[in-house]
Amino acid sequence: MKLPKIRELIEAIKALIVGPYTSKFPFKPHEPYPSFRGQPVYNPDKCVGCLACEEVCPADAIGHEDITDSLNPKRKIIHYTDTCIFCGCCEAACIADNEGIKLSNEFDLAFFDRKTAEESIEKDLQLCEICGAVIACKDHLKWIAEKIGELTYSNPTLYQSRLKSLGIIDENITSVLKDHGRSDRVKILCARCRRETTLTTV
Amino acid sequence: MAKSVIPIGPYHPLQEEPEFFTLTVDGETVVDIDIQIGYNHRGIEKLSERKTFDQSTFVIERICGICSTNHPFAYTRAVEDIIQVEVPERAKYIRTIIAEGERIHSHLLWLGLAGHFLGYNTVYMWVWKLREEILDVMEILSGNRNSYAMFKPGGVRRDINAEDIPLVIKKIDSIIPTLTRLKKAIIDDPVLHARLKGIGILTKQEAIDYCALGPTSRASGVARDVRKDAPYGAYDRVEWDMIVTENGDVFDKVVVRILEMYESIKIVKTCLQNLPDGEIDLNIKDIPPGEGIGAAEAPRGETFHYVRSDGTNRPARHKVRAPTFMNLPTCKTTVIGETVSDATIILAGVDPCYCCTERMAVRSIKGKKLYNGQDLIRLSQEKTETIKKKMGIK
Repeated sequence: MKLPKIRELIEAIKALIVGPYTSKFPFKPHEPYPSFRGQPVYNPDKCVGCLACEEVCPADAIGHEDITDSLNPKRKIIHYTDTCIFCGCCEAACIADNEGIKLSNEFDLAFFDRKTAEESIEKDLQLCEICGAVIACKDHLKWIAEKIGELTYSNPTLYQSRLKSLGIIDENITSVLKDHGRSDRVKILCARCRRETTLTTV
Repeated sequence: MAKSVIPIGPYHPLQEEPEFFTLTVDGETVVDIDIQIGYNHRGIEKLSERKTFDQSTFVIERICGICSTNHPFAYTRAVEDIIQVEVPERAKYIRTIIAEGERIHSHLLWLGLAGHFLGYNTVYMWVWKLREEILDVMEILSGNRNSYAMFKPGGVRRDINAEDIPLVIKKIDSIIPTLTRLKKAIIDDPVLHARLKGIGILTKQEAIDYCALGPTSRASGVARDVRKDAPYGAYDRVEWDMIVTENGDVFDKVVVRILEMYESIKIVKTCLQNLPDGEIDLNIKDIPPGEGIGAAEAPRGETFHYVRSDGTNRPARHKVRAPTFMNLPTCKTTVIGETVSDATIILAGVDPCYCCTERMAVRSIKGKKLYNGQDLIRLSQEKTETIKKKMGIK
């Protein structure tokens, strides 16, 4: 009986010297390991607004809202912190070199009001020049144009988006004519309008 | 003397999870036990059918907070069984490392709780401090202390950085001396011998009859372990031993779990040192129609998953069989004949995990006289004190 007691005493003395394992967290900031999976954060410069993250999210923690009634149509992508499980699927699925949304090391996410437990970014939205339907985010069209290279010039929606973003063509140059016919084919169009303009000119 | 009925539950006094035991006692001795489960139905199987194969992994990970890796492990194996593919070698090693790290922390958690129920709060604090090292290791490797989000059908999601490996090995090595001291402290302790030896005996034949799994069966001399019987992951590529003891009492269950931690440490270290290079993911696109089964040895026993695919990107049916479902009925033989104060530790001896098990049954509660959880822990701790006094130990 003596021997085990001495052995346990060693552990007790060790605990006295080393101190508790826990840190003095609220008074001393805690530094997580670099690989820690914390709050996902959007990078507005990299994100193209493609919604791949919303598509793969297993917890439905990412949603979006298209604001089209204003002069400046926007897509608001919302990440709900209270629903998020920090799995990293959004980062893995991000088409912008996995940099549009990235897990940070932020772990201190407690909140009092559930409505505040969200973060969002806004991206400029491209609407169809005829019917006003949502096509995609402007950055997304640009991203596609850059990805597919010269093939872009087979599709007016893509090359016009690209030329506009480069400042080569004027914002309003093509929207003067409104005949829903042949001349409309060289506009930024949604898939339905593109089909219709193509069919009317047969 | 009239028999009285002691209902325990529906919140378990020990595991803090909902279930309901009806103990019929004659004086101090338990003469009958009835177990009702079904208080924790969450509809996980149905939820899994609503998500894609990739997303389901995360729902399944949340079946249980303690064995959060072995459910995805079994599930991904079932999906890979449908497609008939082998995951890359490196993914196999990473999966094994995560699964074994989890086994260490699960056994430590159980050991700490067992110490608490017996009135050994020093063991409780000591063991849980030790567990922090393992949880930190898991955070370094996977990014989280629990719910590792590492598994996906066809491989793993995250790679292990080569620069993390020395730190991880150092941390794992650092728990061995403390674990050894703890092992000696428990195995040498005369009070624990008096308290745990010879109670709640599950004989070898009973273990076979009840289809007991995991440490519950291995403590009874039934050498049953999926990792050896049908090796998966990297278990057939590393050297390790299956721990089997003969007596089947609670003491042996403790011993099996402690010794298993050493094997797990050995497996994790070997895997980390021999981590092969290469891909970690097969990037599976389509899952053909068919059915698949997958099994994994969770800390409590064999977890079994069945998945049926109809060619879409969602499982058409997903069935889970958790180890506690098989282990819990063994209480029918182990508790009967023992005293009420021993009942708690015997019930805890199978390391029941109800959140894993509960998916099917819904039943009603009937109770006459209620000992609440605190009372039962107190009874259990008082018995240890009595034994200590009898032995003249302060």
